[in-house]
Formats: sequence, structure tokens, C-alpha cells
Amino acid sequence: MAIADTTIPETTTGIHFDRVSKWFRGKDQIVHALSRVTLDVAEGEFVSLIGPSGCGKSTMLRLAGGLLEPDKGSIMVGSEAPELARRRKHYAFIPQQPALLPWRTVRENVALLGELNRRVGSGGVSPTDQLELLEHIGLGSFVDAYPKELSGGMQQRVSIARAFALGAQVMLMDEPFSALDEITRADIRYRLLEIWRRAGSTVLFVSHSIPEAVLLSDRVVVLSGRPGRVTNVINVDLPRPRHEDMEDSRTYHAAISEVRSAVRGSSAGR
Amino acid sequence: MNTHTPSLDEVEDEPPDEPRHRTRRFLLVVAPFSGIVAFFVGWEVYVRVSGVGPLTLPLPSDVLHHVLTNAGFYWQHGLVTLQEAFWGFWLAFFVAVAVATLMAHSRFLERATMPVIVLIQSTPVAVLVPVFIIWFGFSPWPKILTAALFAWVPFVANALTGLRAVDEDTHELMRSVDASRWEIYWQLRVPHSLPFLFSAGRICIGLALVGAVIGEFFNSTEGLGNTARVAQSRVLVDQLWGSVFVLAFIGIVLVIALSAVERRLLRWHSSQGLM
Repeated sequence: MAIADTTIPETTTGIHFDRVSKWFRGKDQIVHALSRVTLDVAEGEFVSLIGPSGCGKSTMLRLAGGLLEPDKGSIMVGSEAPELARRRKHYAFIPQQPALLPWRTVRENVALLGELNRRVGSGGVSPTDQLELLEHIGLGSFVDAYPKELSGGMQQRVSIARAFALGAQVMLMDEPFSALDEITRADIRYRLLEIWRRAGSTVLFVSHSIPEAVLLSDRVVVLSGRPGRVTNVINVDLPRPRHEDMEDSRTYHAAISEVRSAVRGSSAGR
Repeated sequence: MNTHTPSLDEVEDEPPDEPRHRTRRFLLVVAPFSGIVAFFVGWEVYVRVSGVGPLTLPLPSDVLHHVLTNAGFYWQHGLVTLQEAFWGFWLAFFVAVAVATLMAHSRFLERATMPVIVLIQSTPVAVLVPVFIIWFGFSPWPKILTAALFAWVPFVANALTGLRAVDEDTHELMRSVDASRWEIYWQLRVPHSLPFLFSAGRICIGLALVGAVIGEFFNSTEGLGNTARVAQSRVLVDQLWGSVFVLAFIGIVLVIALSAVERRLLRWHSSQGLM
């Protein structure tokens, strides 16, 4: 097990949490969501956040994306504050649900993020590259289909292509496979890895699935129950590119066991 | 245990004989048409068998014959009512969408406007017709305003739901690239509200026609409300039922036209089935 290095790496597209705390004020109660979270995600790194429900994983993602503001501490996305990175379209977000516009075809959905907020000039990748992305993700023959004509797995693949079509170097993914069946998830994971390998982006990935987090990530960050704290950071020593055979390897299973113990430990210590 | 896995050649992979679109067309066209035919045949048979007098209930075939032989008369008056209902419908639509847009963007405006909507909804609109006549005299405006007031509430209620109840994930996704309110409005809220507005539109066509006819009852020299009122006072049963038939015909044609536009514009919506 390796504990996270707390020095901020010299990167331009890394994500850096520095003693970040967050509270949510409800009508009757105040919820302490995150407590003094420090985490550095290096440029081009794939890092997963895992932990019990309500531990603040999605909150961390929204803080990194400038959709929420920390109450204490600071966050940087590359050399920018998250709010600025958001305004400049410097990161792409993949939500839990595909969130496709049903009135747009697959091709038009993939172009959406590039079309919005043209004030900053980032129109995303070219239409040719968008089509190439769709080919890579296995939707080459569905570019003119409407979302209602696609299965849940195909819709989520469109969502992934849409994020990468923005051409951003930081990706924030909020349990994008949680609504899919196991067979579809297995397929889509490798497609995601392939596209990520080509794009070389920095990824912060929220997951509920330990095997999924291990298979995808360079490091798995384990959070404790509410308020969320980083309890362990586990390096996954599987080589890249990853492929299905690795799911039978000792390293893979050892990493799963390590993460599982860490999650148990973090839950027990609440 | 012996198991046999069929090879690909053995597996039957033929499309079904009956194409989907044939069933769909049958449901879309034949089923409603047969309902209308059954209604009028039932009416015709009932009047003939029961011997009820034409003053109480005429034969639909007689009414149809009367309308066709006086087609010019009904065309002229039908056009007047149609125009009043048409402008009332669109006035209601645009005002409702404008109000719903303001309400969808401001909780304060929503809370401030809602009591006014409830007030309008619970006021019998017909009592306002004399007020409109005082304001606008013998112009088409009292009829147009009455039609608009009848159609307004379903439009505003549906427009508000459509503009506001957008998918939270999609909204957040758009915010993640700092989409402006204007972009979120045009790219998300407006298209999302279209199915709601079409639903309201089908109801509001009928309501706008009712509004126009009620306006004509009070104050008019033309229009189908006028022909019905005159027919009632002079006991012209054919003309009374002729006016009703033509009004119903206008309503059906408009709803069919709106549904055709809806099918074309909302191809993406689940209500339209797979293409």
C-alpha cells in the first residue's frame, strides 16, 4: 500500500485538493460531507475514488469541476481554480446517467459540449474526429440514431464520446457505469480505457465497484464514511494497456483484496 | 447429458411477415376513423328506430346533407370562427410561454404569478365577455380574447412544467461547460417543453373554439356561434346542428393537423414510437 505523496506535482492538467472541507446546509441539519481532503492527481493519471455511499465522492468531483465551492481548503485544476477551468471548458464531465438530449441524434449529442459556451472559443474536436471517436467506441453505424433507439450501454458510450469530443485534458466521471448490467460494463470499461489512452487525459473517476476501480486506475483512493476523508491510496501495478486477461492475474486480485480491506477498514473506523 | 447447440445455419432468422408500420398505420388511421363511423351509424340507427322527432334529434345524414347544400354559408361563418380561435390560440400560446419562461427562471416570479393564474383559472371566463365588449366594441377582439383566456391556463401550466422539469444531470452537464442561461433555455428547456406544449395544444384547440363561439354568442353578426344563436331563436334545427357539425369538423381537422406537425417535430420523443 502506498500513501499519497502530498507534494503538488509540476503539471498543467493535474488536480490538486489541499485540505478541502465541505458542509451542506439543509433545512434542519448541517451535513459534514468532506473533512480536510488532500489529494494530488498527476497529469495523465487515472485515479478512482471509492468508499461507502454518502462519503463525498461525487462532492469531490463537483468541487474539482467548479460546480461546488469548498468551505475550507483549496482546489486547483492544473494552474487554475476549478471555477475558471469550468468557464474555459478545460474539463469534461461524464454524469451518472447518459444525460443525452433526446431530440439530438448521436452525432449532434457528441457535438453538444463544443457548441455550448463558444465565448471561450473551445469548440472541441473536429466533426471528423467526433465521428472517429464514435467509430472507436463502436457506434459508427449509429451516428444518425436518436437516443431512444439505443440501449442503455450504447447511450452511455455516447456520453463518453461526448466528453472526449470536447478535447479537454481533464475528465471527471461520476459512476458512469452504475446503471449498466455487468456484461455491458465489462465491454464499456475497455472501450473507455482505449479512448483515454489515445487522449492522454487526467481522469478522476467515482466508482462503487472495487474490481472496476482497480481495472481502470493507476491509483485507487479510498474514502471513509461521512465526513469523507482519504484513508488509503492504493497503487495498481497492472501494466498498460489493460486487457481482459489481466482480470485473471494475481496482481489484479491482490489489488482488489487490498482495496477491499482498506474499504472495510475505513468503514469500521467510522 | 447430450446437448445440441444449433449452428448459425439452423437458426431461423427471418423478419416477421407483418411489417411494423402497417400495424402502426392501422392504429393511427383506421381505428379512429372506425370510431367516428360507428358513432354516426349508431346515432342514425337510433333516430330511425326510436322514432324521435327531428326537433329533438335530427338524423346525422340530414344534417350532413344540409351542410353540404349550404357549404358557402358555413364556409363563410366557419372561417370567421376559425380566425378568432386561431388568433386566440396563438395569443394564449405566446403569452403563456413568455409568462412560463419568466416563472421558470425566478422562484419569486413563480410565486407571485401563481395566484394570478389560479384567479384567472377559477373565474368563469364567460362573464368577462361583456367587459371585453365594453373595451373593444364590435371588433373581433372580444372573441379573440375570450378564446385566448380559455386556452391560456393549460398552455401556461404545461409550458411551466416543460421548461422547469428538465433532467438534472443534463442541466449540470451544461453548467459544467458554463453554458449561458440563454443556451440552456434554447438547447434544453425549450425542446424539453415541446411534448408538453403539444399535449396542451390538443386541448387548447377545442378550448379556443369554445371561447370564440361564446364570444360570438354575446356579440356578433357572423361566425358559427352567431349562426347557432340565430338558429336557436328561430328554431332552425338544421342550422343549429349544422353549426355544431361544422365546429366539430374544424376541431377535428385542427387536432389532426397539429398531430401531424407533432409527429414530424417530435420524432425523437418516446410518444412517437420508434421510426
